[in-house]
Amino acid sequence: MRSVRGIGQARAAVFFAVLAMLPAFNLAHWVLNMLVFTLMYAVMASAWNLLGGFAGYPSLGHAAFFGVGAYAVTLWFQHHGIHSGYEPFFLLPVIGIGAAIVGLPIAAIAMRTRSDVFAIVTITLLFVAQTLAFNLRSITGGAQGASIAIPPFSAATFERPFYDVLLVLLAVAMGLTWASMRSKVGLSLAAVRADEDKAAGIGVRVQAVKLLAFCVSVGLTAMVGAVWAYYVGFIYPQFAIDPLITIAIVLMTFLGGRATLWGPVIGAFILELAQQYFAYSLGGSQYYLIAYALVFLVVMLLMPRGIVPSIQERLRHRRRRRVVDAPTSTGGAAQPVRAEAASMTRRPFTPVPYAEGDRA
Amino acid sequence: MTTALLEVANVSRRFGSVRALQDASLTVERNSITALIGPNGSGKTTMFNVITGYLPADSGTIRFDGHDVTRAKPAILYRRGLSRTFQQARVFGHLTVQENLVVAGGFSVAQLFGRRVGRQDRERAAALLVEFRLSHVADLYASELSYGQRKLLEFAAVLMSQPKLVMLDEPTAGVNPVMIETMEQHIRQLHASGITFLIVEHDMNFVMRLCDPVVVLDQGHEIFTGAPDAVQSNPAVLDAYLGA
Repeated sequence: MRSVRGIGQARAAVFFAVLAMLPAFNLAHWVLNMLVFTLMYAVMASAWNLLGGFAGYPSLGHAAFFGVGAYAVTLWFQHHGIHSGYEPFFLLPVIGIGAAIVGLPIAAIAMRTRSDVFAIVTITLLFVAQTLAFNLRSITGGAQGASIAIPPFSAATFERPFYDVLLVLLAVAMGLTWASMRSKVGLSLAAVRADEDKAAGIGVRVQAVKLLAFCVSVGLTAMVGAVWAYYVGFIYPQFAIDPLITIAIVLMTFLGGRATLWGPVIGAFILELAQQYFAYSLGGSQYYLIAYALVFLVVMLLMPRGIVPSIQERLRHRRRRRVVDAPTSTGGAAQPVRAEAASMTRRPFTPVPYAEGDRA
Repeated sequence: MTTALLEVANVSRRFGSVRALQDASLTVERNSITALIGPNGSGKTTMFNVITGYLPADSGTIRFDGHDVTRAKPAILYRRGLSRTFQQARVFGHLTVQENLVVAGGFSVAQLFGRRVGRQDRERAAALLVEFRLSHVADLYASELSYGQRKLLEFAAVLMSQPKLVMLDEPTAGVNPVMIETMEQHIRQLHASGITFLIVEHDMNFVMRLCDPVVVLDQGHEIFTGAPDAVQSNPAVLDAYLGA
């Protein structure tokens, strides 16, 4: 067990070390730009996974909080001067906490519904937020959009600060996911996801963990929105609060595997890089959207529960076979029982479609 | 402490035009094993759901352990010491057997940030696992258990919080005869240790062996309360069951 945990930590260390060193290789601007967007989606997919994966509440309204973050940072610096290029980044924790607080009453109301109804309630929230952004012209500038001061970073390394900040956010998102999986928060969320009524009946703090998952999830999403607004410099309601953002992060999480630590990140790296690559290689035609959809379809056909759970299952199968095949010479009478137990462990069948994943 | 542990008084509940419970009353004395029986559709499960806060009653009052709990939610009742199982053994299939017990530990919000399964949790769960002879499957997923084992697991889980009253909804349905005997032993042992039971059950032999008193429900109203041997000869009960 210990060695397995060690491997997990080593994996994370290598992953972040490689990503941290990448910009040092003098990558072309378009590559770095692509990576900035990939990291954005990786953070948001990880954040969405806390709610849509672990808690089992498929929110389609996360883009609203992305927009809240984007508008928060933009409007703040319309009224306050930027003294250093890094100042907006220092505002990020405030924006995250602010969005979480805004999210609390919304969660308390929306989470009275479940599954498909919850999805509809939250997508309504998205359109309400977008309509407000269009129509509160004196605050948001309406369809005219709003601009934020251009970051005073040198053109040669313009993407670097954004890249680094997003990498930190990804570490925070994955760290929170990991911590929740190891704590009773994760245990409680797993119970809520499987059977919320039963969970309430055995004293699980259903309401507390649901609200926590929602608030952390939307807080992280708002922080990404703020980084995005500062990066692109000019925001419009239809892009700052865009249903396509929601759909992308949901697809990424499904692709990689819900309720797993690495699933959403892997999903984001595959789908976002694929989308960007096809958009470049297939040019201005809309063919890239078809290619993008094909990537998703092929993976989901081969691994319907997502990449990470499918791989885990296959590894488990192999381990099981090894245990069964191994000669039972080491132990006494207890050994066959243990072998049998091990062979029964982690059997693929399970009534919950994306079960077992939360021990990734 | 002369009041009964659970007092249900004149409770009614309707679903559209169906009156599932009509002015039904029932009392569970401390340290009794009370049975709730009745033909299909007589309102037994509705009664369970109303008592445990899963369904609000349209009228009537429910008192548990001296408190009015008519409008209480299931979570609050659980922390007060009233826990239940479901007819279709509801366990969390993608949690391990051990985790299924731990998650029922009745934690405070602050405790949520502790380890998923800490040493204390493991010890508490281990005692129950031994008692219910589930130790050898502790690390299996609950979805991998047989139906009877799942029933045992669900039963064991509600004991994690040291309840005063345990309500079992058909503990022997769909379970093999050996397991029925096991279930009966567990109930007897726990009863001896001071836990009160309210049991919905169709297996009359089981009820006659184990329970006293027996409450009979018919068309949403209690028609008889008394000792098990008196039930068998009561004309109203025979009428309800045989539909003369």
